[in-house]
Amino acid sequence: MGCSLQYSVPYQGMTERISTADLKRMFSEAARCLRDQHQQLSQLDSVAGDGDHGVAMLRTAEQVEAAAQDESSQSPRAFLRDSGGRVLSVDGGASTALLGAFLTGMADAAGESDLDCEMLAAIFESGMNAVSKQTRARPGDKTMVDALAPAVAAIRAAAVSGAPVADTLQQAAAAACAGAESTKALVARYGRAKFQGEKTLGHTDAGAASMALLFHGFCLAFTAQGEMDHGGH
Amino acid sequence: MRMKKFINEPGRIVPELLEGLALAFPDKICVFGGSIVARAKAKSADRVRLVTLGGSGHEPGLSGFVGEGMLDYSVAGDIFAAPGALKVVEALRMACGGGAKALLVVLNHPGDVLSSNIAMEAARREGLAVKMVLTHEDISGGPNLEDRRGLVGFLPVYKVAGAAAEQGASLDECLEIAERMQRNMRTLAVAVRTATHPSTGNLIFELGEDEMEIGMGQHGEAGTGRMQLKSADETATTMLEMLLDDLPASAGEKLLVLVNGAGATTLMELLIVFRRVAQILRDKGIDLARSAVGEFITTQEQAGFQLMIARLDEELLRLWDAPCNTPFLIRV
Repeated sequence: MGCSLQYSVPYQGMTERISTADLKRMFSEAARCLRDQHQQLSQLDSVAGDGDHGVAMLRTAEQVEAAAQDESSQSPRAFLRDSGGRVLSVDGGASTALLGAFLTGMADAAGESDLDCEMLAAIFESGMNAVSKQTRARPGDKTMVDALAPAVAAIRAAAVSGAPVADTLQQAAAAACAGAESTKALVARYGRAKFQGEKTLGHTDAGAASMALLFHGFCLAFTAQGEMDHGGH
Repeated sequence: MRMKKFINEPGRIVPELLEGLALAFPDKICVFGGSIVARAKAKSADRVRLVTLGGSGHEPGLSGFVGEGMLDYSVAGDIFAAPGALKVVEALRMACGGGAKALLVVLNHPGDVLSSNIAMEAARREGLAVKMVLTHEDISGGPNLEDRRGLVGFLPVYKVAGAAAEQGASLDECLEIAERMQRNMRTLAVAVRTATHPSTGNLIFELGEDEMEIGMGQHGEAGTGRMQLKSADETATTMLEMLLDDLPASAGEKLLVLVNGAGATTLMELLIVFRRVAQILRDKGIDLARSAVGEFITTQEQAGFQLMIARLDEELLRLWDAPCNTPFLIRV
């Protein structure tokens, strides 16, 4: 799902810094991706869970969109803090608690000014650390972490190599997508899904799929319209 | 097959059910902010407040046990989904109003635990006096306690900790009593028919016409294996043996036994199951000191039941017998 990305022409005329408005656009796109795919996410969740992950992601998308539209948040930190708080008030079980922790963790490392790739890597790493504090799930456990960890690592690698923002986010989206794909070969060991054990083999983890959609949306915000294939509908 | 439920808008199920609960028991409970169920009359601030949280769609659990002698606050989440951490923080703030202390009772399910942990961190940062107890008594999770889910055992935990709090026990004493109750109880569930998720209209799991599954979780999480449907006596015998293997009870020991219907299993069946459990305990010389048969936590029209046994010492027995007055458990 949402995983056959075809990357192409980066957004024309973009700068090498991400403004608050850019960040809001990234999250709006991510929210739109979750909204568009929420039924498929529920379907994926029905393999191992009770088939309502898409409902939680729809509510998450609504909150993130509301945060993006709120003009009172004028800095990356203010926007991420507001988004995190809103997502933490969603009744979405483990997935929204972890996404809320992720956003709040990102806010902790974000500042008042626009983000360069180095800062982008730092806030994503901070978000990832916040998730790791709340769950013992690590890559290979068939959770959202399987998409998140490689995406964050890709952002760091791109930042180190001095890649432009659009390329950085494309690499992150590709890594998240591959990470979500990799969960097909895994047996669930965390969360509600672990009770299904071997039955989860061959199916993408719903949490990893939604995380990949999030990064897909971030990337879309810096890609010329119509250049990306959502795939897997 | 189209979902056959008396609901209005799927997105309005939780607020409407809580509104109904409050209107049905106005002398006992009220609802704050659309998701926090509280006692109609708060107990005094020198008494420890009991708070819990959990997804909806499992009525009467959990909010149906808010009231004198049991819970003070219950944070209701969306259908089958833990409430957001910030709602739990809000309930802890209310519980700690006037300098009171609070015990958060959490059933071991990933979402509930995550929301609780985040809420507990925030509450501590605010300087609130809160402690947390986790119930995890479902033996189908295996030997590792962290893998054991919290099932109907929440009921005796609310009951004994709530009674202790009502009688003026300190926060540490309430915590100790709750933990002692939780250490001494074991539950096993069986499912024979699936339920419809009221938000999505989809079946939450699939089970063959002539199959049953022992160890099934509250949301249809798979258990220890499917088998041919068996009689009440055979099922009760198998399940009780598994429970007694995990929680040895010697002759003369006092046991509390709960048989909890999953939603679509009739009271007739639950009583037939209970009868067999009582026979076996009598044959073993174990004292069936207290029992309860009925629906305390359900999963829509899922068919099946949970069988819980718990060892009671004199203090736990006394607290189990103490009065309470909640929408769905009354003891005078």
